[in-house]
Amino acid sequence: MMCYIYDGSFEGLLTAIYETYYRKEHPNKILSITDYEKSFLYKDVFIDTDPNKSDKVYNSIKTKISNQTLKHVFHAFVSENEDSGTWIYNYLRLGWKVGKKLDLHLTDDRVLAIHNITRKVSREIHYMQGLLRFRKIKNDVFYAPFEPQFNIVGLLASHFANRMSDQNWIIHDVKRDIGVLYNQEEWVITNINLKGDITFAEDEEFYQKLWKEYFKNIAIKNRINPKLQKSNMPMKYWKYLIEKN
Amino acid sequence: MEILDKLKILADAAKYDVSCSSSGSSRKNKKGGLGNSHISGICHSWSDDGRCISLLKILFTNYCIYDCAYCVNRSSNDIPRAMFSPEEMVNLTVNFYRRNYIEGLFLSSAIYKSPSYTMELLLKTVKTLREKNFNGYIHLKAIPGADLNIMREAGKHVDRMSVNIELPSNNGLKLLAPQKSKEHIIKPMGLISSKIVENVSERKLYKNSDKFVPAGQSTQLIVGATPDKDLNILTLSESLYERFNLKRVYYSAYVPVSKHPNLPQISTPPLLREHRLYQADWLLRFYGFKSQELLDSKNPNFDIHFDPKCNWAIRNLHLFPVEINRADYEMLLRIPGIGIKSAKKIISARRVGPINYDNLKKIGAVLKRAKYFITCQGKYYGETKFNEDNIKNSLLANSSDKLNITQGEQLSLFSLYPNLLPLPDILTKITGEL
Ligand code: SF4
Repeated sequence: MMCYIYDGSFEGLLTAIYETYYRKEHPNKILSITDYEKSFLYKDVFIDTDPNKSDKVYNSIKTKISNQTLKHVFHAFVSENEDSGTWIYNYLRLGWKVGKKLDLHLTDDRVLAIHNITRKVSREIHYMQGLLRFRKIKNDVFYAPFEPQFNIVGLLASHFANRMSDQNWIIHDVKRDIGVLYNQEEWVITNINLKGDITFAEDEEFYQKLWKEYFKNIAIKNRINPKLQKSNMPMKYWKYLIEKN
Repeated sequence: MEILDKLKILADAAKYDVSCSSSGSSRKNKKGGLGNSHISGICHSWSDDGRCISLLKILFTNYCIYDCAYCVNRSSNDIPRAMFSPEEMVNLTVNFYRRNYIEGLFLSSAIYKSPSYTMELLLKTVKTLREKNFNGYIHLKAIPGADLNIMREAGKHVDRMSVNIELPSNNGLKLLAPQKSKEHIIKPMGLISSKIVENVSERKLYKNSDKFVPAGQSTQLIVGATPDKDLNILTLSESLYERFNLKRVYYSAYVPVSKHPNLPQISTPPLLREHRLYQADWLLRFYGFKSQELLDSKNPNFDIHFDPKCNWAIRNLHLFPVEINRADYEMLLRIPGIGIKSAKKIISARRVGPINYDNLKKIGAVLKRAKYFITCQGKYYGETKFNEDNIKNSLLANSSDKLNITQGEQLSLFSLYPNLLPLPDILTKITGEL
């Protein structure tokens, strides 16, 4: 059995897929180096990332299959699921056979695997559009820490750049030490290493208090339902919610 | 009075309003402005009762000159009162919005001094918000009886406007809210809907004219405070959707807040009834059903054992079983256990090959209900004889194993309906899938 190993980048994964066609090989698995463990069952093939090759695959998904598929592939990739490389490879192989109609094959397991994982990623993106909480810190910057399950910080940026277009903000993925910075004109993704405490702006605690009070008062007492609350708003997202701390 | 205390009183007073929807508008942010609207709406939190918090839902004031029997704010009720100023309201909204606590503002009010006076204050608030370049979502409750010119002006600045009908019949209104008249409610509704139509044609001519209430209007009905039957309520909703182009009708189980002799004495709100009405409402709006198909004078109330669609299907067994591989979209939608999403998926998947029973599960159909009403490649999977009694019994038997799974909410329901069978997934109200 054969395993392709790429460097963990999106370009790396697309290069690996390029190589399977170029070398006419059918690896059983495509793994990111971060998930790789030596195993005697597999013949390991290490792939060197090559932007020219990954570009070719990227364009071929767009033109030969569809933009929707490209989006699916990217969302599956940011899930950081150990199997996502393999799933994407199998999905695309089917895609190059059936073309534009790929995502209609709703009963095919190769398509289902991708749709299942991308649904989870999209759900988290949608959740975070609502559950992200900015804190106003000194110099009037709005700072939002969070720990998403998937690597979605870049996929949140444009939503908040459109919405909070007249304020400076930072969205910080504390788990991965990366973040998006926005200066009212453009945004960049960068590594973030915070040292020391954050100082809040003067009125920050006032508004936090108001929000907590609002949250407390809006619930209808004889309808209290923690179970429904938790199923609608998973507890893994509570850590950074002002109203839950 | 401190802002914090005002917030406490005025959020508390607003919470019985059920509408948390912030969808249907896609207002874009302006350059250098704050906020936009997301077409399908975003929940920003879920309160301790499990409801989605999307908008800052608040009353401008709870001082009221009226004395409606079912309402906490009625003038004869001895409660703490408070009132915001337009500036305070604006600051609160903007600061909550900047921190991503909310999707926008849902502003309503009790009636202070006079309907028009109050409406002026609300107008000032929404106008100032827009002048400060706030482009988030605004839902404004119009005050019944206020000057129509003020309403017209306010409509230019908000995404949704609503007038609450509250009581489903004229009689109810006379009995419980004698100072309000049907006129006061219907007139502004007519105004809003004709302005929306006018505005759409105007915008075709002049691209830049302001949008008038782009997300439409909605209203709220209280369920269980009057003897009105489900049939009356549902036909009312249907005609509101048709006549006034309403976007939503919200139903609110009457929460006992006072001991007025004209009000029923109940200990808990009729939540299951509210739930059934929501399910039926979805059927009207998205599934192509008519109220007369779901209920009639012989059966004027919904069955508590079956959701409205199941109920309809059982009474119309001659239309079933339906072959999944041949039925058109409209018919697929009428099968219990198949929602809009799965119906669409079935249509898509059929274009690349026939569907078998196993596939249906993958597509997301709820087979435990659907199986009695369908065939798949000619085969029936109901595991029972195809007749009314057998199907009813199987459906009931099937749902009763869920009896112990979801508690909490149901305890109160059981005390309300002693012989009650299990409540189907309460979430259908939120997702609308039946
Ligand atoms: S007018 Fe409105 S706020 Fe005042 S008592 Fe009647 S329902 Fe309540």
